[in-house]
Amino acid sequence: MRNLARLRIVYQDADTRKQNVRVLSTPFPVQMKPRRSLFVAVLLLLAVVPARAQDDDPSPHSDAQLISEVASVRPGEAFDVGLKMTMEPDWHSYWINPGDAGMPTEVQWRLAEGVEAGPIQWPFPERIEQPPLTSYGYSHEVLLPMTITLPTDFEGASVTLEGKGVWLICADICLPAEQELTITLPVVHTSPQPDPNWANAFAATREAFPADVVGLSATATTTATGYRLELISDGGAVPDLSDAFFFADERAVLQHAEPQEFVRDGDAFTADFVASDFAAETPHQLTGALVLAEGETWDGTHRALKIVAPVGGELAATSSGNTASMSLLVALLFAFIGGLILNLMPCVFPILSIKILGFAQGRDHSRATLRNHGLMFALGVIVSFLLLAGLLLTLRAGGEQLGWGFQLQSPWLIGGLALLMFALGLMLVGVFEVGFGLASFGGRLDTKQGLGGAFWSGVLATVVATPCTAPFMGAALGYALAQPATSSLLVFTVLGIGMATPYVLLSLFPQWIQRLPKPGRWMETLKQALAFPLFATAVWLVWVFGLQTGINGAAFLLLAMTAIALGGWVLGRWGLPMNSSKQRGIAWTVVVVAFILAVVATGVGARQTAEAHATRSADSEWRDYDPVEVTRLVVDGQPVFIDFTAAWCLSCQANKAIALNSSSVQNAFRDKGVVRFRADWTQRDPVITAALESFGRSGVPLYVLYPPNGEAILLPAILSAGIVTDALDQLPTAIASDSHPSFP
Amino acid sequence: MKSSLSPALCGLALVAATLPGAVIQTAADAPDFTLTDTYNQQHTLSDYEGQWVVLEWLNYDCPFVRKHYNGDNMQALQEQYTGEGVVWLSIVSSAPGQQGHFSNEEMNERTTEHGGHQTAVLMDPDGTVGHAYGARTTPHMFVISPAGEIVYNGAIDDRPSPSPATLSGATNYVSAALDAAMAGGTASPAATQPYGCSVKYGS
Repeated sequence: MRNLARLRIVYQDADTRKQNVRVLSTPFPVQMKPRRSLFVAVLLLLAVVPARAQDDDPSPHSDAQLISEVASVRPGEAFDVGLKMTMEPDWHSYWINPGDAGMPTEVQWRLAEGVEAGPIQWPFPERIEQPPLTSYGYSHEVLLPMTITLPTDFEGASVTLEGKGVWLICADICLPAEQELTITLPVVHTSPQPDPNWANAFAATREAFPADVVGLSATATTTATGYRLELISDGGAVPDLSDAFFFADERAVLQHAEPQEFVRDGDAFTADFVASDFAAETPHQLTGALVLAEGETWDGTHRALKIVAPVGGELAATSSGNTASMSLLVALLFAFIGGLILNLMPCVFPILSIKILGFAQGRDHSRATLRNHGLMFALGVIVSFLLLAGLLLTLRAGGEQLGWGFQLQSPWLIGGLALLMFALGLMLVGVFEVGFGLASFGGRLDTKQGLGGAFWSGVLATVVATPCTAPFMGAALGYALAQPATSSLLVFTVLGIGMATPYVLLSLFPQWIQRLPKPGRWMETLKQALAFPLFATAVWLVWVFGLQTGINGAAFLLLAMTAIALGGWVLGRWGLPMNSSKQRGIAWTVVVVAFILAVVATGVGARQTAEAHATRSADSEWRDYDPVEVTRLVVDGQPVFIDFTAAWCLSCQANKAIALNSSSVQNAFRDKGVVRFRADWTQRDPVITAALESFGRSGVPLYVLYPPNGEAILLPAILSAGIVTDALDQLPTAIASDSHPSFP
Repeated sequence: MKSSLSPALCGLALVAATLPGAVIQTAADAPDFTLTDTYNQQHTLSDYEGQWVVLEWLNYDCPFVRKHYNGDNMQALQEQYTGEGVVWLSIVSSAPGQQGHFSNEEMNERTTEHGGHQTAVLMDPDGTVGHAYGARTTPHMFVISPAGEIVYNGAIDDRPSPSPATLSGATNYVSAALDAAMAGGTASPAATQPYGCSVKYGS
């Protein structure tokens, strides 16, 4: 920046000057008079001298120097140096994405053997408006840090870092600039000391780095004109985004000059961006810095948030098992079959078997009674499913990040269902009967009350089915929830119809029941045997509860179950019609107290918190899901596998045991260098819910494999070791190199 | 040749129609214009129907443009393709008083000095044509088919730097697009991020 003042004047005059020179040097200079040619010579001289001065200064209107954060360095340790740039007023240098025009600053290193320099770590930029164009860069002053590493065996008393800074400096015009850089630092074998001259400058610059902020996650979807970025807060304080601006860090992604507006929607913020005219293909993710208005911060220090938002829709569209492309008819068919299969689930099977037995006992009743009874049962099932779906849709419309299976993310509900399963089991083995015997499960067929009973038994069947729908039908119901409300309610209706169909058919064709043996002792035996699937279901629910609330929580739930058992025993022994009314009164008092005890114990248990992810961190080959890290690895060309799972998801657990944990799959993961993430949805997690939605799902299981630089592959919901290893076989053994665009 | 090309271009148009958000896209109809060249001749794009046309946004004082002219890169392209019957129009959208805007005489002198082989240098002092095409940088290149459709829009090559050293080994997108499209294929890539100095539009 020598001769700065002079240069500036020269440049402003450059056009007229050159014009003068050219006019004077046109056609016939020979005919010029001597005095005039002297004048020409002076003019020429004036023109040439400053021009040479300009050529001499390699860094017009700006200057750069290499500074170090530390005053001394130690072999084997990393430290930061920085390119400190100063620019004259109105002149700019550029960010990693320079925007519509310009070029990012770079350092061309000439380093000694073994010394390594990392990439520039860019502070957030500012917008440079030249309507209709917008560029991204820096004015006045900027520090661009880079990390240097000395080899452990570095010898010598000092190290000299040499290179050349190369940048473009622009005001209304642009000039290339470069500066030779060198810095020598003493090499010591004690702790490196910070350089007091620059430590503050580095600290301030780091505050301008786009930060990872806890409690915020970003996803993107494609729109007709570009992309919608959605920023979800998990409930913490969110700054004012009204004047925020998203700087995409790659060039051909967004139209740089388009205005942006962030709109609040509950805990989420959305902004629509216009895609670049020059986008060759839809990117896998939107990456960059979301910068707040001056004075605002994300976390008290950082004005810029690092955005790595997977672009949904496009990713899901590349998969074979894409639910979003499922037609409504296919979804309805799946829902019907799914409803039928629900009857075989361990939580539903016993209840409904007993219902059939009830039919068998009542087979002498009129066909009309039986039919009405079957239809009322179906109505109870369907209404319960619709209520459940309606509740979920309402919560989602209110901005809650929920998916199917949400009912199992609450320890309260898990605990309640465990108690219900246990109590039903006790009843079936005959510990107590509260008019809940065979007849009432079937609904008393001969009374009007029986019709109401049939309806409520449908409700009960649906309630006990809820822990099973989520594990087995997450993907299909995820489709349903992604549809307009009418379509999704239709899917749930058909699911209920599917579940009720066997009973409706039996009630319409009671002659089928005639094939059963005549009612007798075998029915009582079967009823008692059917308690055990319910106990098993209760055990599973206690396990899930324990994962959510820890061993203490599980102990409280077991205490609650003991209270239920006590109440059931008392009721079975002293609550019978044969007992005196006093005995029954005391028995019922005990039952009520035991029930209250059970509720309190469950409540206390539900408030316990699990030891931090004990089951997950024990499995060191799997990392906890982190969308930012996943995107970084994928962009770096690392193969990545994500297991979206939950403790209450039975098929997830089966897939884990049979496929993911098998030695052939483990070996394949290691051979291909696949980084494995586990997204555990056992408890509510808006980040994972958003990630599932980006793949068109609203439930687990979901298995995603990212080949190096490739499109995401979704594996089927039911895995075998072969399916996983076949998918992994498609990956190259060698890991692809960095694919980040470079600006030579 | 024109008739045999149109099915391919229609297909391209369909593909491009599915891309999000572009104002000026490839396979879109090139906006028609009439501009005066530095010899006071008028040029109307639609008059060149039936011929391949290249539009080059030009600012002789921009370092990125200088890289391509001082290295004889741009002129070589102009010479080769005008030799094959391509119409090459260099458009100056710099406003009067802004960098890159010169009198016709000065402009012609610079063109001669550089040995430019473009068909014409067109002056667009109020930036109308630049805005219509969304021209962002100098250079910013467009290739237009004989049917009047934009088949390439973007950078001249894959080296966004003003350093002359980056000319060697660069992949030239314009010649790739012309070669492919003139042989009846489609340009790939059909759009890239242009690089260079901003176009010096008037305010």
